[in-house]
Amino acid sequence: MALVELKGIVKRFGGVVALNGVDLTLVPGEAHALLGENGAGKSTLIRVMTGAIVPDEGSITVGGTTCRFTHPAQASAAGIAAVYQEPMIYPHLSVLENIFAGAEMTGRFGIVRRGAMAAVVRPLLEQLDLPASLLVRRMSSLSIGFQQMVLITKALMLNAGVIIFDEPTSILSQAETDRLFVIIERLRRDGRAIVYITHRLDEIRRIASRVTVLTDGRVSGTALTSDLDEAKLLTLMAGKASRDYGKPLRDRAAPAHGTPALRMAGLTRAGAYQNVDWDVPAGQVTGVYGLVGSGRSEVALAAFGALRPERGTIALEGRPIAPRDPAEAIRLGIGYLPEDRKLQGIFATKPLEANLTAGTIGRFLARGGRLDFAGLRGEALRLIGYYRIKARDETIGIGTLSGGNQQKALFARWAGQSLKVLILDEPTRGIDIGTKAEIHDFIRDLAAGGLAVVVISSDLPEVLAVSDRIIVMRRGGVVGVAEGEAMNAEAILASAVGADARAA
Amino acid sequence: MSAAVMGAPKVPRLRLPQGHEALLLITLAVLVAGIGMFSHGAFWSRINLDNLFVSSAITLIPAIGMTVVILTGGIDVSTGSMLGLTAAIGGSCFAAGWSLAATVPVFLLTGAGLGLVNAVLIIKGKIPPVIATLGTLSIYRMIVFIVLGSNWITQIPPVLTRVFVVDHALWLPVVALIALGFVIVASLFLRYFRWGRHVYALGNNEEAARLAGIRPERIKLAAYVMLGLLTGFAALLTLGQSPMVQTSTGSGFVLQVIAAVVLGGTSLSGGRGTMAGTLLGTLVVQVVDDGIVLLHIQPFWNGVALGVIILAAIGLSSRRDAGGM
Repeated sequence: MALVELKGIVKRFGGVVALNGVDLTLVPGEAHALLGENGAGKSTLIRVMTGAIVPDEGSITVGGTTCRFTHPAQASAAGIAAVYQEPMIYPHLSVLENIFAGAEMTGRFGIVRRGAMAAVVRPLLEQLDLPASLLVRRMSSLSIGFQQMVLITKALMLNAGVIIFDEPTSILSQAETDRLFVIIERLRRDGRAIVYITHRLDEIRRIASRVTVLTDGRVSGTALTSDLDEAKLLTLMAGKASRDYGKPLRDRAAPAHGTPALRMAGLTRAGAYQNVDWDVPAGQVTGVYGLVGSGRSEVALAAFGALRPERGTIALEGRPIAPRDPAEAIRLGIGYLPEDRKLQGIFATKPLEANLTAGTIGRFLARGGRLDFAGLRGEALRLIGYYRIKARDETIGIGTLSGGNQQKALFARWAGQSLKVLILDEPTRGIDIGTKAEIHDFIRDLAAGGLAVVVISSDLPEVLAVSDRIIVMRRGGVVGVAEGEAMNAEAILASAVGADARAA
Repeated sequence: MSAAVMGAPKVPRLRLPQGHEALLLITLAVLVAGIGMFSHGAFWSRINLDNLFVSSAITLIPAIGMTVVILTGGIDVSTGSMLGLTAAIGGSCFAAGWSLAATVPVFLLTGAGLGLVNAVLIIKGKIPPVIATLGTLSIYRMIVFIVLGSNWITQIPPVLTRVFVVDHALWLPVVALIALGFVIVASLFLRYFRWGRHVYALGNNEEAARLAGIRPERIKLAAYVMLGLLTGFAALLTLGQSPMVQTSTGSGFVLQVIAAVVLGGTSLSGGRGTMAGTLLGTLVVQVVDDGIVLLHIQPFWNGVALGVIILAAIGLSSRRDAGGM
């Protein structure tokens, strides 16, 4: 019997149809993967289910009764909860208060009953193997993995029959991911319906028994995972922009000789990394693989002048440098595309054009230091065309674009500058597979043009697909460098997680 | 799987202000000791202490409302003009011969009404709080000029001064006792009542709070109206302290209030802060003010001190926010 049934859901935003007659059936005890490119309507669908937006047409049936959610509280009362991609937390409040925010248990006069709340939540924590001492901790003192667990506890507290996970692993380390999967499996066996949104193929196999694919606001296919092989899944996921992502790329660059474009030697910063050596040759893509917390971003930030090392040397084309801030690093010819695009990348309320030209604006000066607006627009249009950024025009606010197109725009911002070294930190995190493959091509093109490119990623297939050589990091140190034949998944994963060290 | 897989949790630290409140207490003690010594005992005279308590109470009462407003992630910079306008309207009633009992509701309703105007501009008009209240700061002050013309109102019933300022209960001027009562009630409200917890939730993450079924608009509305109400009451007390309304009544007042709140540890970005902090912040601000008078320092240094206090408090506060404590 279906727990939740969505029928003919339509949602329009202005003239844009975000959902165009979506049907979805959720069955107790089933984990249902929801796939689709960015802009396909996944987030809109979730927000319809959680009552954050009201659909224009269609019906939602929960346990046989038709519901019309006009407020999130109604959806959570009906047993639908969501764990969002980036945890929605109250950083200054305790874990207990985070769990009960908006659903406080109160006695007379609306007095909050902390003891009663703790009593309710303790068995749930136990169910998730979390210590009860967690309850009094300040939320901001927890790692993201723990914060997610707290949100799952909240869903259990609300006795949610349906729990929606929106790309929960995109910000988790491997250990945290494994733990999450154990929990999800347990929730599923308890008879809850799980909705799981992801871009990662291996996760679908591990978690989901059924897959539904959204394309352009419609369901373009639904199938049992067991009926799908990798190729079929990929075809379903990639939709029209089907690409041969995942296969090794052609024409790897030959091993480089001579002075690398960027060389870091003996770099140390207490608590972040120790004695790290990176050689980054021009004309190649150097992959840096490691789990979250392996120190990879911190090393990159040292080269970018954002987080100074305590010891060690950095040399650019053989000349020692010590950038004091990003502005100096950029002037020297080092670019860095940050990991967190919302926080560190885009100017969300500015037009696409300004975002694209933010780094090169100094080149477009007319007489008297006045900005050359025509030149800027021309450059923006060139980048939009070259990188196939899907946008109405260059004046649209970048915040309104899909994540994939925002990322392309940021990529284009850096690629449009004359740099010697470009460091890309998780360049395709959380974006759809079609755009991902495009960005991989752009990365290869940049290297082919002579740039030294570094791709930092915790997505192993991505590193393998795009790199000429791979630096593997673990716990703040380089644990391996792989080139050519040595670049195979098992070996790299093994050294990144430390499995080889244990075996030896 | 055990929790240990995900790495041991860091140092537990639930309630930040403990350290901060301790710091404020020490600051206060040092100031009091220093001023007490260098003023040759003038600080400890009954009359000075009473003055100090009355001034503190008049700042503290709106500061309670301001704390809640800032906790929600907002701010109200119009409080001084609001106080001036309420005093002008209420004072006009006194001048027209109204009794104290008939005029008290005028003060309270005027204050609440002006707070409501701010709330509507911010919630319905979707104007950022600083801008909306900067607008009303100017408008309310202009209305003061219209109401008063070039006159001063001096017909304040002496009973007002006697009841709130001269009379004592439990060693304190009545007004100080009232302010303390308000702080305790507000503190309990914030800590133990559902709406109080929603204030924090809202200031921490408005979107998450909305998705959790909390209605941010209602809380904000209540916060700004409550601040208006408390400011109206403070206007009444101001006339008890110095029985005169002029066009400049209340100008500069909002700086004292905001300084007290941020010095008390409330984060300007919302979601963090306590009433106990606001109480201590108010006392520090007022003791500095008092000390400048007692030590015969030229009065313009008072403004400098206030500015330095605000800047230092906000600098400290941003550091704490950035440190994720």
